[in-house]
Amino acid sequence: MGKITGFMEFHRAKQPYRPVAERVRDWKQVMRAFPEDELKKQGARCMDCGIPFCHQGCPLGNIIPDWNDLVYRGQWQEAIDRLHATNNFPDFTGTLCPAPCEGACVLGINDDPVTIKAIELAIIDHAFMEGWVRPEPPEILTGKKVAIVGSGPAGLAAAQQLRRAGHEVTVFERDDRIGGLLRYGIPAFKMEKKVLDRRLDQMRAEGVVFKANTHIGVNLPVEELRRNFDAILLAGGACAPRDLPVPGRELKGVHFAMEYLTQSNRRCEGDAVPTDREITARGKRVVIIGGGDTGADCLGTAHRQGSRSVHQLEIMPRPPEHRAENNPWPQYPYIYRVSSAHEEGVERLYSVSTKRFIGDDQGCVKALELVKVELVYEGGRANFKEIPGSEFTLPCELVLFAMGFVGPEKPGMLESLGVKLTERGNVGRDENWMTSVPGVFTAGDMQRGQSLIVWAIAEARAAARGIDKYLAGTSDLPTPL
Amino acid sequence: MLISGDSGGTGASPLTSIKHAGIPWELGLAETQQILVANDLRGRIRVETDGQLKTGRDVAIAALLGAEEYGFASAALVASGCIMMRVCHLNTCPVGIATQDPELRKKFAGQPEHVVNFFRFVAQETRELMAQLGFRTMDEMIGRVDRLNVKKAVDHWKARGLDFSQILYQPKTEPGAAIRCVRAQDHGLAQSLDITTILPLCRAALESKKPVDIILPIRNVNRTVGTILGSEVSTRYGAEGLPDDTIRIHFNGSAGQSLGAFLPRGITFTLEGDANDYIGKGLSGGKLVVYPPRQASFVPEENILIGNVALYGATGGEAYFRGVAGERFAVRNSGAHTVVEGVGDHGCEYMTGGRVLVVGPTGRNFAAGMSGGVAYVFDAAGDFKRCCNLAMVDIDSLASAEDVDLVKDLLKRHVHYTGSTVAEKILSNWKSMQAKFVKVTPKDYKRVLAAISKARQTGIPEDKAVMEAAHG
Repeated sequence: MGKITGFMEFHRAKQPYRPVAERVRDWKQVMRAFPEDELKKQGARCMDCGIPFCHQGCPLGNIIPDWNDLVYRGQWQEAIDRLHATNNFPDFTGTLCPAPCEGACVLGINDDPVTIKAIELAIIDHAFMEGWVRPEPPEILTGKKVAIVGSGPAGLAAAQQLRRAGHEVTVFERDDRIGGLLRYGIPAFKMEKKVLDRRLDQMRAEGVVFKANTHIGVNLPVEELRRNFDAILLAGGACAPRDLPVPGRELKGVHFAMEYLTQSNRRCEGDAVPTDREITARGKRVVIIGGGDTGADCLGTAHRQGSRSVHQLEIMPRPPEHRAENNPWPQYPYIYRVSSAHEEGVERLYSVSTKRFIGDDQGCVKALELVKVELVYEGGRANFKEIPGSEFTLPCELVLFAMGFVGPEKPGMLESLGVKLTERGNVGRDENWMTSVPGVFTAGDMQRGQSLIVWAIAEARAAARGIDKYLAGTSDLPTPL
Repeated sequence: MLISGDSGGTGASPLTSIKHAGIPWELGLAETQQILVANDLRGRIRVETDGQLKTGRDVAIAALLGAEEYGFASAALVASGCIMMRVCHLNTCPVGIATQDPELRKKFAGQPEHVVNFFRFVAQETRELMAQLGFRTMDEMIGRVDRLNVKKAVDHWKARGLDFSQILYQPKTEPGAAIRCVRAQDHGLAQSLDITTILPLCRAALESKKPVDIILPIRNVNRTVGTILGSEVSTRYGAEGLPDDTIRIHFNGSAGQSLGAFLPRGITFTLEGDANDYIGKGLSGGKLVVYPPRQASFVPEENILIGNVALYGATGGEAYFRGVAGERFAVRNSGAHTVVEGVGDHGCEYMTGGRVLVVGPTGRNFAAGMSGGVAYVFDAAGDFKRCCNLAMVDIDSLASAEDVDLVKDLLKRHVHYTGSTVAEKILSNWKSMQAKFVKVTPKDYKRVLAAISKARQTGIPEDKAVMEAAHG
């Protein structure tokens, strides 16, 4: 929408970042606000497509062309209303989402797509600044009680939806603070914790009850939860990390990304970490195994801790600069990306696989033995073939695994509940988002496997409707899926 | 016969028309087939259908319902890169299809092979369905509605209670009655005035550009007179045609429809009498003159001389009419210059070029959707503004020397060719008459003309100036 010829007049502008030299010295957010007049031009680039493919790029069903236009016209209040109609937390997605909407933007066929994500973030920032984001407590209470297990984006979104529908909602979190990966996974330089806290404040004011330090199936029996609540939503995420069981795995200084990021986030919150359990990159040569977003989070954290050097390893070949033939618009583009952490410096190695970790006489890791690999397709399946004689070693003192997650953790809650799992090991569900156990629902990574925040929120909204229908017979809650 | 369904069409249409105009082609096609078969007329014509045909399955269903031709547009357009932006009318097509903007046209990435491939797939799927149904040729398939079944898998509450029997009805016929086209049409072209009379008389002109002068009677059964002659000229001499007035034919009588349709340069028709609808349709450089019989006792400027839709889609040439025209005069004219002494409703609708001079009253809705060219109207009663559709055009007074010269020149020619006393009176009292003329110019066209003249003065490339003006 916006200006009819906007896409012909204005170029895409990048979300402004603070300068590298300044930002690596603190833990504050890297992103800076877009200047308003520039942002309006970016909104004007939206083309009012006959078929807006951005709608299908994002699972939330965000009405993207509408709010692009409203920003172009400076109607910020209408814009936030339109945005909140489909997305509970544009503050999280506008900051953290890899923006599949932009990958599906029609302008992206032969030009740079509209800066949808930056516009989304500006709308919600503007709304908070103006005080338009207020608690919306329910007018009528149903008297039904819902327990939500997990306080990540899925749990929070479902809690907000269900509370606004009039149910009594309690969110359980096994950690000491609410927020799940938003709290302890995402580093503050990507999203400051006050962004999360202001949302939690809103939800508390709406009447959502949060219970931290409550690990269902561990320190609170599943039976008690079932007895005290009319419905339960499992939104515990996919926390089981992918391991790399090669020789030397047991050496000191080899950690999962989440151990590392959680500890760093705790330190930023002001918690004391016992020295014997300390994981830090200070003065060390760091190797991150895994080339995705979690790897980039480890990278930025290592920079800020004062690492000597960082290598990031990826088993896949280096992605192309532009879409490959087999990855056409409007699919999500698999291309070479440079995150803010990469801008701050890194050595990225592609097509390498780890053969073993080499330790010193103290049992600490001192190097990796790597080998170059080639991606070959055999019978339709991708395999990595080692290139003989290409072995080399990479000295390091800290190794971090950021190779993704294999699914939800089964011991404890899932096993005691006895919910049926899918072939992939995720929690199974029916079309109303209910698991095999009546009254127990699921949403987010726990049923989907590791994915994006937008999927977590979208599924949570859909599951909230399923729960509302289960409790009340009918539901007016919207569902994007 | 074309049965065009409700769901196709240009992306420039308003959403209301796209969504809520017409009915599905299946309904129209089934009814057409049944009526034609029941009356034993089906064998004489071919039936085509279109409206969002996309797959071989669509083709097979259309064939079984009775169509032997199938129109595709949107799907082929999408195959070549259209992304259904619905901005075909805005000159901002971001994939370079529906735009004149050179920068946007550079982005067009379609290739003929994409469209070829699409149709190959459609054909392949059609073949597969034919094989399943046991048909060897398309001809065997046409109208075999007995081979269509309602999909049993449709188990939706909305589908319950639907009765398809009327669509799948097959009229009872005599044995051997045609259910598809079996007979070629005879248009009787061999008996046309062009073939029997005009072409032999014009041989010298056609073969060696020698001027010919012919006088012929004409009747209203003589339709499309001059079009075959015109095609002979165009075939031999291309778009240039012959030198002006090489072939001059004077007709006496009442002309049938489409006199002088698509007449190219070098041919001049004079008609003393009157003409039916569509005179000068698609006029392409030729000249047409019509005036009432000299001995007629009525007042020419108060009587209808020619029928409706004169000069429809004319692209060039001249036409002078000593009398009043019917409705839709010069609709979609893009280049012809013409003088007429009055027009009915919707004159100059959708006109994009050329010059039209009306020395008399107009009907309502004049210049609706007119985006180019100029119309001059002699507004004697002063009420033209009420008749004009002002959505896209401005009404100005006749002021510039350029306009005055043009109008005077057209009037002089009109007098010369038709002996019009109306034009003569205006010319002889020009000083007092000039103020009664108004000039009708499309607003956007005016802006572009201004941009061109400014570009000429300042030396910027004209194309660039036009583009800028067009975008506003």
